[in-house]
Amino acid sequence: MVDQNSNYALQTSEVYVHYGKKMAINNVALNFPKNEVTSLIGPSGCGKSTFLRCLNRMNDVIDICNVKGKFLLNGNVDIYSPDIQVETLREKVGMVFQKPNPFPKTIYENVAYGPKIHGIASSQNELDEIVKDSLHRAGLYEEVKDRMDDIATGLSGGQQQRLCIARAIAIRPEIILMDEPCSALDPIATAKIEDLINELKENYTIIIVTHSMSQASRVSSKTAFFHLGNLVEYGETGKIFTKPDKEQTNDYITGRFG
Amino acid sequence: METAHTDKNFEQKLNHLTDNLIKMSNIVEKQIEIAVNVIKSKDSSDAQTTQNLDEQVDEVERDVRDLSFEIMTLHRPVASDLRLVFTALKVSKELERMGDHSRNLAKRAISISSSFDEDLTDQMHNLGKGVQKMVNQTLESFFKKDEVQARISWNQDAEIDRQYKSLLSDLIERMHNKETSVIDEGTKPILIAKSLERIGDHATNIAEEVIFNITGHYIDLKKSDFE
Repeated sequence: MVDQNSNYALQTSEVYVHYGKKMAINNVALNFPKNEVTSLIGPSGCGKSTFLRCLNRMNDVIDICNVKGKFLLNGNVDIYSPDIQVETLREKVGMVFQKPNPFPKTIYENVAYGPKIHGIASSQNELDEIVKDSLHRAGLYEEVKDRMDDIATGLSGGQQQRLCIARAIAIRPEIILMDEPCSALDPIATAKIEDLINELKENYTIIIVTHSMSQASRVSSKTAFFHLGNLVEYGETGKIFTKPDKEQTNDYITGRFG
Repeated sequence: METAHTDKNFEQKLNHLTDNLIKMSNIVEKQIEIAVNVIKSKDSSDAQTTQNLDEQVDEVERDVRDLSFEIMTLHRPVASDLRLVFTALKVSKELERMGDHSRNLAKRAISISSSFDEDLTDQMHNLGKGVQKMVNQTLESFFKKDEVQARISWNQDAEIDRQYKSLLSDLIERMHNKETSVIDEGTKPILIAKSLERIGDHATNIAEEVIFNITGHYIDLKKSDFE
């Protein structure tokens, strides 16, 4: 059921995804509360990344991928409606990937690129402000302010990932999707990203796919456990990691999965 | 039967933790049984046995503590594993206190004169038998993960308290009546009764931990819930 005045940034129901004949998501319904962090967990191949990629139509580019279901942004925008341009959707729903993927351009241009193509800035000054503000919010500004014209690929892995977060923020999304954003990072860089996630949730709704149980428990207030394309359990993170309702969830998070 | 961990090392440590708790429970149950018998037998070598067993209990408690710490540090347990480690730490502490009370009451029991009132001795012994039964059932509920049994055991504490209060009233009444054999023993019978009552309280705490281990919640149990 969709609540028009919901506190949910995104609501999904009856979601089915097939890759050709193979079912990847089987009748999933999941709502994402505004300004909260939701973790999607589950073993490899459980469908969590596929599901995440449905949320900003990343699967559209895969020919054999067939997505069905209801996806409502802010209670009333059907993100799969023919009226919705994918580019417009991705202004609202940004994404950060597993491997930092800065453009082979300068640090400045990496962050300025989105606002430019989406026409967000009306002047150079405004663009400069957006770049600065986004880098600030991503906790990177102090580290790069004197080398904005350096090529971004020269940054460390952790810095590159924060740059990607700054790039995502620069187009002022409402939701940020993160697909294992720390799996290529060392513990300190991971801690910085997790700290950042905690700060970002004040302004954004964050949905994160992670293989790290401890990361899910540290950063998210809600956790959803997927297995074989099914949503097995969804609930408060504290409850999932102390007394999940389903034995299957307990088996997975405690490392008992066969 | 719970599914085994993929991480065999972790699995072994959790099994070892449970084994230590079983070992500790067996020793403490033995200690209580001997101590309760000493109330009647006044056998000083048995009293010494409770002292010796207490040293073993302390040693296993240290093992449980160290292993729990190691598991938390190296394996970051969650869900049912976390509850097991958390419960193990708390249950081992309760068992250790039960052991102390058993040792103390046995020591006091052998210092009471053999001419001490038979009826009062029987009352102490019966109280001890009741406590012993409650402890056995509570620990059984822990290892069998039996919530219903844990609640039944918890409820038995009301009867233990009733017997304890009745015994105290009797002791005080006899002192009022200037019964020399009772007065001569001073506070020893009272302290024995108190030790038994305290063992019952620790068993109650364990029952609450058993319920937490199974349900993930601490239940705010009230005796009135069962009355």
